[in-house]
Amino acid sequence: MRLDLSILLPHLGFLAQGALLTAEACVLALVGSVIMGAFVAIARTSSSAALRRIAFVYVDIFRNVPFIVQLFFFYYGLPEIGLYIDAFTTGVIALSIAGGAYASDIIRAGILAIDQGIIEAAEVSGLSRRVIFTRIVLPIALRTSVRPLGSVLINMILTSSILSTITLNELTGSAQIVVSQTYRPFEVYVVLLVVYAALTYLVSLAIAILHRRLNRDMMEAVA
Amino acid sequence: MRFADFTAFDLVLLAQGLGVNIALFLATSLIGLVIGIAWAIVRYYRVPVLSEVITFVSELLKNSPVLVQLFLVFFGLPGLFHIRVTPVTAATITLSANTAAFIYVIAVSAIESIGRDQIEAARVFGLTRWQVLRHVLAPQAAAFAVGPLIALLVNQLQVTSLISVIGVVDLTKIGNILNMRTLKPFVVWTAVGLLYYAAAKLVALLGTRFENRLRAHSAWRGL
Amino acid sequence: MIKVENVKKAFGQTTVLDGIDLTIEPGEVVSILGSSGSGKSTLIRCINGLEKLNGGQITVDEFDVGKPRELAEARKRSGTVFQLFNLYPHMTVLGNITLAPIEVLKKPRAEAEATALALLESVGLGSRADAYPAQLSGGQRQRVGICRALAMQPRYLLLDEVTSALDPEMTAEVLAILAKLAQEGTTMLFVTHEVEFARQISDRIVFLDKGRLLVDLPTKEFFAADGGMAQPRVAQFLSKMRKD
Repeated sequence: MRLDLSILLPHLGFLAQGALLTAEACVLALVGSVIMGAFVAIARTSSSAALRRIAFVYVDIFRNVPFIVQLFFFYYGLPEIGLYIDAFTTGVIALSIAGGAYASDIIRAGILAIDQGIIEAAEVSGLSRRVIFTRIVLPIALRTSVRPLGSVLINMILTSSILSTITLNELTGSAQIVVSQTYRPFEVYVVLLVVYAALTYLVSLAIAILHRRLNRDMMEAVA
Repeated sequence: MRFADFTAFDLVLLAQGLGVNIALFLATSLIGLVIGIAWAIVRYYRVPVLSEVITFVSELLKNSPVLVQLFLVFFGLPGLFHIRVTPVTAATITLSANTAAFIYVIAVSAIESIGRDQIEAARVFGLTRWQVLRHVLAPQAAAFAVGPLIALLVNQLQVTSLISVIGVVDLTKIGNILNMRTLKPFVVWTAVGLLYYAAAKLVALLGTRFENRLRAHSAWRGL
Repeated sequence: MIKVENVKKAFGQTTVLDGIDLTIEPGEVVSILGSSGSGKSTLIRCINGLEKLNGGQITVDEFDVGKPRELAEARKRSGTVFQLFNLYPHMTVLGNITLAPIEVLKKPRAEAEATALALLESVGLGSRADAYPAQLSGGQRQRVGICRALAMQPRYLLLDEVTSALDPEMTAEVLAILAKLAQEGTTMLFVTHEVEFARQISDRIVFLDKGRLLVDLPTKEFFAADGGMAQPRVAQFLSKMRKD
């Protein structure tokens, strides 16, 4: 039994590139999830029963089917209907749709938690529904949703490892290649484990700071 | 000879695949439950060093991708210890440990949610720490933990889909095989998704039934 | 002119307003008194369109609040100040006051901000334009609420128990501002518990009891023994308020 972490040194650059790809995919997918989640949240709270039903079904399906199956569905299925998209874009789309299902619940809770009185004050001053939603409801809901959405992001970082199964060389995919070159799977995967854990830890710290920053103005001043 | 069409036997294959997922899910959930609770008890007794190690390992397992954990066990351990590990063994070890980490956190938070005053009262009456755990904390903690536990189990069922990547012939693997053969990804992956969805819903349903029965017998309603 | 004609409003089985008739002319200061549950706040919420009528009609300058198209115009002509302030927590004081003038009246930002600052100065909050609502006291928040309503240059100011959530000191500072506005000729419709204040600044006092309008008299006559006080419910109510 020989443990030798130094064999990884020459491959750090390559792994870093993989990490960068993971980061890119996750950031794009987070944006996609929030947009998707916002639309679905609106649908869930809309007055149209049909819209509410569709939104509910979407959330239900994508929260109860394994991500790898969703991914394969898009990766193998889209070319069948003539859409030839590269692995990276397919991965981002799949992550966005899956993330959107969770994000919609979070944003919906954020919207419902807004004090009715504030909405009434806005209505009564003559603001249109659209302006009320974009200038008041959404900004407040997003501010209170920062922490839970942060969990979605962290989950996404971990889930993105599954993109390695569709030949994308993000962090896990790159690690697999390094293993094939060094024949040291234990060292590589142990380091990979720690790197992911460290990454998620840093992100959770960043989320905590962001939450405090954005909500500082809204928190009660200590008299 | 190439069978490019679907046959009735494919349904059997799919069912078998799902069976593998469910079997592994049940086994690893049970083992994970036992280990996770054992860890929580260690933490309850505040065993020095061991408690910290457990917390560290649990955080590592919770905040890293399951796929990487699978690779570590399946590819890494044989390399380091010069042992042979079958895909099913690796899957069982990995998923049990992963489940245990989450159960540990749920158990700890459930125990800590119970008011200090009850523990103090019990101790003052002369009950040992074990007796307090067994008669005062455990029943209440169990009732408290059922909700998060069900959500966890539904999630872990979906996580089992990843064992296909290290070669276990589960539902996802069958999906891959059928996909290769019939080249009809939409049909195949929809069928696979549907089966996973049904299984997830079943677990959720049984879980809430169990939760309701627990509540019905609970003497601590509203206390 | 605000015209309330035979207005009826029920929440489920409970009738809250049972045939109210009321007219407010420009320049008038009218107070609505009555015990809790008499329908006072509901009446104001019907005038600014937050509640839909079950019967009757309300028009603000001939615009029917029951018709969605006309409601928008009606709302431009009235401003509401709320009991719980209802300021936008994520915007500064300045942002709160300028949002509607910019979005609804389409005023240029510079003009809206200048008006806002002038209003803030007049209530003594000129230096707090960049503060957030969470950093202000209750009295300060309500003063911002008043500025926010006034920034729209409304014909009619609707005030729904605007001092009920404030302690005595803050109540006094807000009442002082309202007294000044009344003096300057602003048309105001108050719902309030502050009987003394109502007596001092109102032209007319209206008394609601269990959804019915019992008395509608000029202030002096309302408090006269042979006028409003002749009504047993009014006398009962006023003596209770005096005791508190």
